Amino acid sequence: MTLKEKIESGRFVVCGEIGPPQSCDGDVLRYKSKFFKGNVDAVNITDNQTAIVRLSSIASAKILLEAGVEPIMQMTCRDRNRLAIQSDLLGAAALGIRNVLCLTGDHQKFGDHPEAKGVFDLDSIQLIAAVARMTRGYLLSGTEMKQAPDFFIGAAANPFAEPFEMRLIRLQKKVDVGAQFIQTQPVFDLDLFARWMERIVKMGLHEKTAILAGVMPVKSVKTLLWMKKEVPGVKINERYIERMKNARDPETEGVAMAVELIESLRKIPGVRGIHLMPVLWESITPTIVKAAGLKRRSR
Amino acid sequence: MFENLVTYHRSVSPAERRVSRFILFFEDVVKIPLFGCQRCGECILSSTAFICCQQCPKRMRNGPCGGTGDDGSCEVYPDRKCVWYRIYYRSKLLNRVSLLTSVKKIHNWNLEGTSTWLNVFRKRIDPPVWFVREEEREQGGEQG
Repeated sequence: MTLKEKIESGRFVVCGEIGPPQSCDGDVLRYKSKFFKGNVDAVNITDNQTAIVRLSSIASAKILLEAGVEPIMQMTCRDRNRLAIQSDLLGAAALGIRNVLCLTGDHQKFGDHPEAKGVFDLDSIQLIAAVARMTRGYLLSGTEMKQAPDFFIGAAANPFAEPFEMRLIRLQKKVDVGAQFIQTQPVFDLDLFARWMERIVKMGLHEKTAILAGVMPVKSVKTLLWMKKEVPGVKINERYIERMKNARDPETEGVAMAVELIESLRKIPGVRGIHLMPVLWESITPTIVKAAGLKRRSR
Repeated sequence: MFENLVTYHRSVSPAERRVSRFILFFEDVVKIPLFGCQRCGECILSSTAFICCQQCPKRMRNGPCGGTGDDGSCEVYPDRKCVWYRIYYRSKLLNRVSLLTSVKKIHNWNLEGTSTWLNVFRKRIDPPVWFVREEEREQGGEQG
C-alpha cells in the first residue's frame, strides 16, 4: 500500500525524515533507511534543508525507493525557477516517486552559501497549485502533456508562529489549491497545538486534507534550548525544558517524552498521523515507534 | 480549480514602453515612499492592506513563510518586522482580511519594472479592489 492509500483508508500513518549527506555517499542513505524500513509508512527527503548543499532530494528519494522505503520528496522554491521545478517533478515522476512535499524553502542566508541568489519564483501555495495542475495533465504554460504525473501532494504548516490567524488562511489556501496532506512543525506545546486543531476542525480542513503532527525526539536539553533560541516559529513549553534538564538519562527521557507526545497527539480529534523528525538521531526511530505502539504490521 | 495561475504577457510595442516609463515616474513618486513599492508591475497592494508584500526577502505573495518571530520580526532581517505580520494586522484594522484569502497568481517577470497603472488599463493584470462589501467582511472575519 502506498502512503496515499493508507491515508485514504483511514489508518493512523507515521512518516519519518532523512536528511541527505553533504557528499555523494549514497550508502549513508541506505544505512539510515534501515531504521525506517518496516517502522514508518513513508520518509521525507529534505531538499537542501537550512540552505546547505546536500545530495539532491530526487536522487536520494530514488535510492530510498530502491531500498524499499517509500519516499516523500521535498521540493523547495529557493533553488529553482518554474522551469526547473516542473522538469525536476517530471523527472521524479519518471523515477517512480509519488509523494511530493511542497515548501517555499529556508532563506539562503541561513545556509553555507549566504551570498547566493534566492530564486523564489513561486511560493509554496503556487507550487502546490502548479503540481496539482501537472497531475491534471497541464504544465504552467498551458501545454498539455501526453502523460500526466501522478503525485500525492503534501504541504507544511506552522501552528506556532505569528500571525496565527493568517496561518489558518494560508492553510486554507493550500488545501484549496490541492494539498492532500499537511505536515506540521514539531510540536513542543501541546495546548497550543490542540487549540490550533480545534480551529482546523471547525473550518472543516481535517476532512479535506490529512493533518500529520510533527514530533521531534531530542537527545539533550541543549538541542531544545538551541531550537528555542535559533529556530524562528518554534514554541517550546518550559515544562519540556525543565524535564530534560532534570533528567538523569536525557536520551531515555527524550524517548519517553516523544512517546507521551505521540499518545497525546493521537487523542486530538482530526490528527491523522505523525511526522517523526529524528534530526541526527535516525537510529532511535524503531524504539519510539515500538514504544508508541505504532509498529507497522506489514510493509 | 485555479487553472488561471499565470498572467500572460501580450507583446508590448516600443511606443507603449515609452508611455509605461513615463507613467512609472509618477507611480514611483507616489508608491515608493507611501507603500514601499518594489515595482513588480503586478500590483496587489489593494489586497495587502496597502503594504507592498514584495518587500519580503522571499517575495512571498500569498502570506508569511514559517519564520516570523514571536515579536513579528523577519527571520532574515531580525531588525525588520515581517511584512506579512504588518499586512495581517493592518488588514484586520481596515476590515480587509477577506482579501487575504484569495490565491495570488504567479508573478509574471515580464512585467517587472513596468507601470501597474498602465497594465491594469491594458487589462494585463487584475484591477485593484477598493471596497470590501459588508457580507464579505464577515466571511473574512470568520475564516481569519
